[in-house]
Amino acid sequence: MESVTENLLVTSRTSSTSRRLWRKLKDAFFIGALRVIAIVSIASVLAIIGVIIVKGLPVISWSFLTSPPQEGMTAGGIYPMIRGSLLLMVGTLIIVLPIGVLGGIFLAEYAGNNLFSRVIHASIVSLAGTPSVIFGLFGLAVFVIMMKMGVSLMAGCLTLALFTLPSVVFTTENAIRSVPESFIEAGMALGLSRWQIMWKIVLPNALPGILTGVVLSTGRAAGEAPPILLTAGIYYATGNLPKGWDILKQPVANLPYHLAEGYRQGGVIPEEIVWGTCLTLMLFVLSLNIWAIMVRLGVRRKQRW
Amino acid sequence: MRWWEGIAHATVYVTGIAVSLAVLIMFYYIARESSYAFRQSFSWGYRLALLPADADPSVTPNSAPYSSLVAVNAEGADGLDEREEALTAPTIEQMQNESALLATATPLVSDPSQIRGDELYRDDWRAPQPAEKERRILVLGYAAPSYPHRFMYLAWEPDHSFDPQLAPYRLLLRLVRAPQGVAVQPFEIDLKRHPTGRLLLPVWVARTDSERAQGYLFEVAAVPYTTTFWATLRGLIGTEWAPTLIYPRYGMLPLLTATTLMSLLAMLLATPLGVATAIYLSEIASPRTREWLKPALELIASVPSVVLGYFGLMFVAPSLQHGIGQALEMQSGRNLLTTSIVLAFLAIPVVASVTEDVLKTVPESLRESAIALGLSSSEILWKVVLPTARAGIVAAVLIGAARVYGETMIVWILSGGTAAMPALHTPSAFLSSLVNSTRGIPDTIAIEMGNVTFESVHYGYLFLLGLVLFCVTVVANLIALRIGRRQVWRV
Repeated sequence: MESVTENLLVTSRTSSTSRRLWRKLKDAFFIGALRVIAIVSIASVLAIIGVIIVKGLPVISWSFLTSPPQEGMTAGGIYPMIRGSLLLMVGTLIIVLPIGVLGGIFLAEYAGNNLFSRVIHASIVSLAGTPSVIFGLFGLAVFVIMMKMGVSLMAGCLTLALFTLPSVVFTTENAIRSVPESFIEAGMALGLSRWQIMWKIVLPNALPGILTGVVLSTGRAAGEAPPILLTAGIYYATGNLPKGWDILKQPVANLPYHLAEGYRQGGVIPEEIVWGTCLTLMLFVLSLNIWAIMVRLGVRRKQRW
Repeated sequence: MRWWEGIAHATVYVTGIAVSLAVLIMFYYIARESSYAFRQSFSWGYRLALLPADADPSVTPNSAPYSSLVAVNAEGADGLDEREEALTAPTIEQMQNESALLATATPLVSDPSQIRGDELYRDDWRAPQPAEKERRILVLGYAAPSYPHRFMYLAWEPDHSFDPQLAPYRLLLRLVRAPQGVAVQPFEIDLKRHPTGRLLLPVWVARTDSERAQGYLFEVAAVPYTTTFWATLRGLIGTEWAPTLIYPRYGMLPLLTATTLMSLLAMLLATPLGVATAIYLSEIASPRTREWLKPALELIASVPSVVLGYFGLMFVAPSLQHGIGQALEMQSGRNLLTTSIVLAFLAIPVVASVTEDVLKTVPESLRESAIALGLSSSEILWKVVLPTARAGIVAAVLIGAARVYGETMIVWILSGGTAAMPALHTPSAFLSSLVNSTRGIPDTIAIEMGNVTFESVHYGYLFLLGLVLFCVTVVANLIALRIGRRQVWRV
């Protein structure tokens, strides 16, 4: 309060022009400094993306993306890893979509706003903040060892599904909450049941938001190495890949695992291939992001509320 | 309401409850797996030897030049271990050729008079036992008739990597029985106070094979003062992480300190940058700029951490080493400082994006009133917007810190991988441990889980580390939720 009065005095006509100049300078300095810091930090992080693109782009070619590694991982392409990452992502999506969406519906529509719902919220927030390596440990203990799945695509997908679950739940909840109340009231006025309102009005309107959120979080999960490291990865991959349902029970080579294990093996993989793999993985995740941003912008333009 | 609507409602309920229980289920299973750590057994290894009275002082039981040397290792107190080897004791004639002094390890029998001098058990194998169990080894000592001196040394020393200080039991060396006619005070030596030593004793010469059994009888006893459970927990608060030693050590303090230090440094760097970025985006940038920068921020946040790690390895580490490596005597570019810098890159987008959300919740009316009072933009920021959003900003920093705390790949690739305790006591020691190779909790879990036997003690300890990490991040997130409830999650 005191400072406000002081400021009033300062801005009153009686104040000297030098004092006013000083305030203006201070203002300009602070705002300028903030602007510089912000731009430097955004630019420096963008520079990382730039460097990886510059380093990786010369390596990437059609044959790099579509041929298996050769000569003990020291040459050839990364096709099995790309395939493995896609498989993991699709598997995760299939598992997490129904569970996460139902969980989101529960939070948005059923849990209410009381102590119970706050406890649930706290538990999902804790899950969302849990490091990915913990999910890896859980997957190893439960899916790999206890359920006897072994190190396999199945175990990896389940682990990643659990990892993405909280963000899918939150996205769904937010998407459902952002559907205007008037829509729901209109449905009620028409005499629809609670489930009909959910199914016919809320979900269709929330769908774009839900889908982009889900794809984004599975994409982010596909870039996480630790869960895969403990549950689904394999290092040596050749062109001879398992087919049919068999792939579910076999470990899969994939992009983050290739990078992590390549580092563990100590420089067997040549630097160009590493950069190429980095860029592929980054593009994989970034393209999903860009797609999601586009969808969101498109939806925002269409929405009239 | 149709019949299937009931099923649909029930499905939503069941799934919702299951999802909200997920964190508890995870906690349960990780805690359950960490119980393997409590199956740890605490083996001990000591060596006793009889040395000639004129022996070179540098000769120790561990250097083993004498055939008289017998390893007294952790063996079954109840007699013969299945891998224990019963040998025939050498006869007096054989001893005269090979060695003049002999100490033999013999398992305890209740009556020392029943010990037979012609048998000995060489305990070269370790058969670990729980910490609750007391165990004793008897050692028989005598000299051959050809031994020239009137005295001999009893020398003792721990086995190579065995550290008596860490053992969850008292270790005692006692004289159980002196030979008849030899005047010697009974003694009891605390091996934790005197881990190595020598004791001068009058010689006992065994002239016949039956006289060997009447020689000196020493006892090495391990008397536990705690249970395996507490011993395991106490072992966790150690300053050495060396799980592959013969006598493994699972002290997690070096890992915990390194992880905490890295996160602190990273947040020190990321907090001002991230918050400034958020302020710029939310308060200063024009709507047009914001429309481009906000998605860019989200893009940056989605760069996989393993890619960031490689970027650090190829760019940050070499440039740090060339830049300030000389001045700080940096051995390699992979160290705590490099790791913290790259971790900060990970945290900046997280902090910025959460803080931006927080700033958005500051009511526009507050800003408008401030403008009406004639405050300048920086005054509005410092005196109105930031104080209102303070709790939310703290929450944002906590969320970023929790993210950094559990980050695995960057630390794995950049920390160098030596589990050494960072020195904190003097500024110069602190500085040098900043540029030394180190190792955190999450990367230790990820690296070592690849090499352990499933359901072994080491495996259990890795889960125990996971449990610690889990608790720290969950607590950080819950605090963030508590203090920033309204601004971050709008619950």
